Amino acid sequence: MHATPTIERILRGTAIALVCLFFMFPIAWIMLMSIQTNETILRVPPSVVFAPTFENYQALITGKLETAAGTLEINFMRNLWNSLLLSTSSVALGLVLGVPAAYAFARLKFRGSEDIAFTLLSFRFAPPLLVLLPLTIYFQQLGLANTYGGLIWVYQLIVLPLILWIVRGYFEDIPADIEYAYRIAGHGFWATFRRIALPLAGPGIAAAGLLAFIFAWNNFVFALVLASADKQPVTVGALAFVTASGIQYGQVAAGIVLSIAPTFALALYAQRYLVEGLSLGAVKG
Amino acid sequence: MYEKEKGLVDAFMRGQMSRRGLIRGLGALGVSTATAGVLVNLAATRALAADFDWKKHAGTTVKLLLNKHPYTDAMIANLENFKELTGMDVQYDVFPEDVYFDKVTAALSSGSTEYDAFMTGAYMTWTYGPAGWAEDLNQWIHDPEKTNPLYAWEDMLPGVRKSCAWNGVPGGALGSDDAKQWCIPWGYEQNNLTYNKRVFDANGLSVPTDLDGLVETAARAKAAMGSGYGVGVRGSRSWATIHPGFLSGYASFDQKDLTVGADGKLAAAMNTDVSKEFHRKWVQMIQDSGAPDWSTHTWYQVGTDLGAGKSAMIFDADILGYFMNGPGNAEAGNLAFAPFKANPAAAAPTPNIWIWSLAMSSFSTRKDAAWHFLQWASGPEHGLFGATAMDFVNPVRASVWADGAFRDKLSKSYSGYVEMHDVSAPGASIKFTPQPLFFDLTTEWAATLQKMVAREVPVDEGLDRLAESVNGQLKEAGLG
Amino acid sequence: MTTTHTQSLPPGPRRHRFRVSRRMLPYLLSLPALLTCIGILIPFLTAVAYSLQRYRLSQPWARQWNWGQNYLNFLSDPAFWNTLKVSVTYALVTVVVELLLGLGIALLLQRRSRLNNFVSIMLLMPLMTAPALAALMWKLMTNPGFGILSYLAGLIGLGDFRWASDPQTAMLTVVIVDVWVYTPFIMILLLAGLRSLPQQPFEAAALDGVPRLFVFWRITLPMLTPFLLTATLFRVIESIQQFDIIYAMTQGGPGDRLTVFQVEAYLNFFQSTNVGRSAALLMILWAITYALSNVFIKNWLRLRERSRGNA
Repeated sequence: MHATPTIERILRGTAIALVCLFFMFPIAWIMLMSIQTNETILRVPPSVVFAPTFENYQALITGKLETAAGTLEINFMRNLWNSLLLSTSSVALGLVLGVPAAYAFARLKFRGSEDIAFTLLSFRFAPPLLVLLPLTIYFQQLGLANTYGGLIWVYQLIVLPLILWIVRGYFEDIPADIEYAYRIAGHGFWATFRRIALPLAGPGIAAAGLLAFIFAWNNFVFALVLASADKQPVTVGALAFVTASGIQYGQVAAGIVLSIAPTFALALYAQRYLVEGLSLGAVKG
Repeated sequence: MYEKEKGLVDAFMRGQMSRRGLIRGLGALGVSTATAGVLVNLAATRALAADFDWKKHAGTTVKLLLNKHPYTDAMIANLENFKELTGMDVQYDVFPEDVYFDKVTAALSSGSTEYDAFMTGAYMTWTYGPAGWAEDLNQWIHDPEKTNPLYAWEDMLPGVRKSCAWNGVPGGALGSDDAKQWCIPWGYEQNNLTYNKRVFDANGLSVPTDLDGLVETAARAKAAMGSGYGVGVRGSRSWATIHPGFLSGYASFDQKDLTVGADGKLAAAMNTDVSKEFHRKWVQMIQDSGAPDWSTHTWYQVGTDLGAGKSAMIFDADILGYFMNGPGNAEAGNLAFAPFKANPAAAAPTPNIWIWSLAMSSFSTRKDAAWHFLQWASGPEHGLFGATAMDFVNPVRASVWADGAFRDKLSKSYSGYVEMHDVSAPGASIKFTPQPLFFDLTTEWAATLQKMVAREVPVDEGLDRLAESVNGQLKEAGLG
Repeated sequence: MTTTHTQSLPPGPRRHRFRVSRRMLPYLLSLPALLTCIGILIPFLTAVAYSLQRYRLSQPWARQWNWGQNYLNFLSDPAFWNTLKVSVTYALVTVVVELLLGLGIALLLQRRSRLNNFVSIMLLMPLMTAPALAALMWKLMTNPGFGILSYLAGLIGLGDFRWASDPQTAMLTVVIVDVWVYTPFIMILLLAGLRSLPQQPFEAAALDGVPRLFVFWRITLPMLTPFLLTATLFRVIESIQQFDIIYAMTQGGPGDRLTVFQVEAYLNFFQSTNVGRSAALLMILWAITYALSNVFIKNWLRLRERSRGNA
C-alpha cells in the first residue's frame, strides 16, 4: 500500500470519523449533561450553549443533594469507595489464588488438569443468577451476608477464571529451559517460581489483573442481590438519584461520569495490557 | 441551646398556647418549620413517656430496611426523639425504589436476621405473610403490656387499616375478622386527578368528571399544548402500571380482577363486556393523548412530566402531584387536585390505594424492641410532626387529617387537595383480590395493556387470552 | 500426559526428598482456587434441586418435588418459547452486527499509525463503561422530553420514533446499546489478529498485483477465521445471558418483547417468587451456554497454539 488514492483516503477518513462519532458521542453528551442544571437539561430544543456549573459534582462529593423537598443525604462517595475496595480486593485475592494455580496448569501437567482447568473457565460462562439466588440463603447461614468478605468471594466467579486462563497462557509461553537452568544451579522450586516464572509472566499478570478489575468494577447484579446499602458499588448507587421529588438529571449524569472515570483512566494508562487481556491472552497485541 | 424555644413548647404542652400559635412563635425565633416540629415532638414525646414504659428496651439496637422516600426522610429527621424517648439505637439501610423490593425479597427469602422491621406495600405482604416472613402485628397492637395506651389504633383510617390485614386465604376479604395484620399503614396514596391549572385555564378546559370526559379532555389538552401530551398514566411492564389510575377507574365500574367461587376457587374476571369497554377507552386514551414513551413510564416519569409542564394532567397518586407542586419544578404552584370517578353512574370515587406500611420481620431477634419503634413511627405524634413539618403525606390517621394546621398548610399551596381527599377517602381501599399470584397476574396484565396500546393485539382478544393464561396459572398453583 | 508434554518442569536437584510432595504439588497449588470455585458449585447444585420442585415462596406449604414438571410445563408455555426466541434473536442480531462492524473498524485501523492507535484506544471507552450505566446513559439520550437522540430523530422527520418504549423498535434500541458497549471488544480482538498475521502472503499478492478484494476474501478472511470464531463464540455466550442492559432499559417490556432468560428468571424469582420456574429457566440457559462454551474453549485453545507457533 503505497500511494493511496485520494478518494480512498477521504472515504477512510469519513468512515473513521463516523465510527468515532457513534462511539464517543454518548460519553461526550453525558459529560456535557453533568455540568448543567436540571433547567438547562430540560430545555427544548437542546443546546450546547449554557453556563457550565459544577454544582452536580459538588453535591455528589459533599453528599448533600439539594432537592425540592430539602436537602437529601446521598452517599455516592461511599459507593465509589465500595467499588474501589471490592474490585481491588477481589483482584488481589484472585491473583493470590489464581497465579499459582495457573502455574500448576501450565507447567505441572497432572491427572485431570485439563478437566479442572476447563471446569474453572466454564464458571466464567455460567449464568450469574443461577448461582446468586441460592447463594443468598447460604450467605445467611454462613454469616457472609452483608460482608465485604462474602462479596469478594463471590466476585471470584468473574475474576478468577479470567486470571487463571490469561496467566496460564503466559506461563506456557515462557520456555521451560530458563527455569530448568535456574534449578540446575541449585535453586528450589519456590525460588524458581518467585524469581524466574513470576517476573517473566509479569505482563500477563498485569493484563489479567487489569481486565479482571474492570469486569469487577462494572458488575451490577452481585452486590445488588447480596449486599446491604452501605456496601453497594457505583453501578447500583447511580440508581439512587431517582427520588419521590423527581429526578435530578444533572446529578445522574455526574454520577455516571464519576463512575466510569476510574476505568477510563486505567484503560488509558495501561492500554497495552488491556488489549492483551481482552483477547484472553490468545493474541499478543 | 433551645431554652427559649423549649419554654414555648412547654407552654404549648401545658395547654396555654395553640399549636398554630406555637409554630408562629417559634418561627419568630428563627426556627425552621422542621426544627420547630422536632421540638414540639420532643415535648410531646416526653408527655408520651408518662403513661408507658418506653425505656423497657433501652440499650437495644434495631435495624430497618427502608425505601428512599420522603416518609423515610421525615422519620429520620425525627429519629433523635425516639432514641431519647427509649434509650434505644436505630440503624437503617436505605435503598432506591428501583431495587428496593428485590432487596426485601432477597433479605427475607434468605431468612436474614439483619433487619427487624422494613417498609412494604400491602400487596407485598400477600407474599411475605404466607411465606412466613412477616409477623401478624395483632399480637402486639392488642397487648396493653406492649402498646402505649395513647397509640390509638382505631384512629387509623378504616379503609387503609383493613387493606393491610388479610386472613391468608387466597381470595379472602381484606380486613375480615380473622385477618392478620401483616403491616401497619404509614402513609398512603389515593389515585385521583392532578391537573395543570395554567394549561387548563389558558385553553378553556374544564376538569373531567368521568372516563369519557377524561379521554376527551386529554385529547383536547394535547391538541392545545403543541409539544406536550394530554394525560400521564403509568405503563411499564410491572404491577405498578395496574394499581394506580387504571385499577381505580376499573373498580369504579364494579369490575374485579378475579372472582372467588363458592368452593374458594379463583377465576379471572377481566374479560367481561364492561371490562372490555373500559379497556378500549383506556387504551384509546393512551394511544391518542398519552406519553409517547408510555410503555416505560413508572411513577417518576409520570410525575416529572407533569412537574415540567409536559403533560396536562395525571390520573395517578395524589401525592405524586403533591410533590410536583413543590419548589424545583417548572410548574410548581400551578397544579390543582380533583377527585375522580371514572363511572358516571358511580356515587363517589373509589380509588385503589397504595399504602407504604411498616412490617416486622419474622426473623427479627428483637421483636418487642422492634415493636417499640413501629408504634412510635406509626403513632399519632410522629404522624402529626411528619405531616405538618415534613412531607409525610397522606397521613393515615383521622386525627392528623383533623388537625387545623395541617389542613391549612395543604389548602394554602395545594389547591383542592383537602377536598379531594375528604371526598374520596370513604371509598378508598385496595381493590385487588389478595392472593399469592398477585405479581404474576399484574405483570401479565401490564404486558397485555402494552400490546393493546401498540396495536399488536385487539382489546377483546387480548383480554380473553389474558384471562385464559391467568386461569391456567391459578390452576397450576392449586388456586383455580 | 505427564510424560509426553514437552514443557513439563524437569525434576529438580533434590527430587528424592520431594517425590511425594512433587506429586502433590500441582494439586496444592491449584487447591485454593479450586476450593473457592467449589464453594460456588454448591449453590449451583441447590439451583438444580429448586428447578425440580414446585416451589413458590408465597406458597411454602405447597412446596414439593415435581421432578421434571417445570421443564415439561415449558413445552406448552408460550412465554417460555417467547423467552427462547427473544434471547436467541438478541444474541444473533447483536453478534452479527458487532462482528461486521468490529471487522470493518479493525480493517480501517489496521495500519499502525499514531492516529489509528489513538482512535483504537478511544474506542475502548464504551467497553470500559458498566453496561448498567451505559443503559442509563442511553435512556437519558432517548428520553422523548429532553433526550438528544429523540430530538435529532425529530429533526430528520422521525418525530414519532419512540426507541425502547415502542415494541417495534425496542429490540433495535437495546441492540444499539449492546453494539455500542461490545463492538470495541470484537474490534480489539480482530485488530490484534490482523496485526499478528504473517506478512509474506500479502507481500506476494501485492507483487503479483492481485486485486485487494480477492486478497481479502482469499487470504485475510481465512487467516482471520480463528479470531472471528473466538470473538463470535465469546460474545454469543455473553449476549444470550444479557441482563444489565435490558433490565435497566425496559425490564423486559414493552409487552413480552425483551423477556430474555435472565430478565425473566430474575422477575420470576423476585416478583412472582416462583423459584421453581426461575431455576428451571436458568438451568436451560446454563445448558445452552455450557454447550457453547465447550466449543469456544476448544477453539480458543487451538488459537493459542497457533499464536504460539507464530511467536
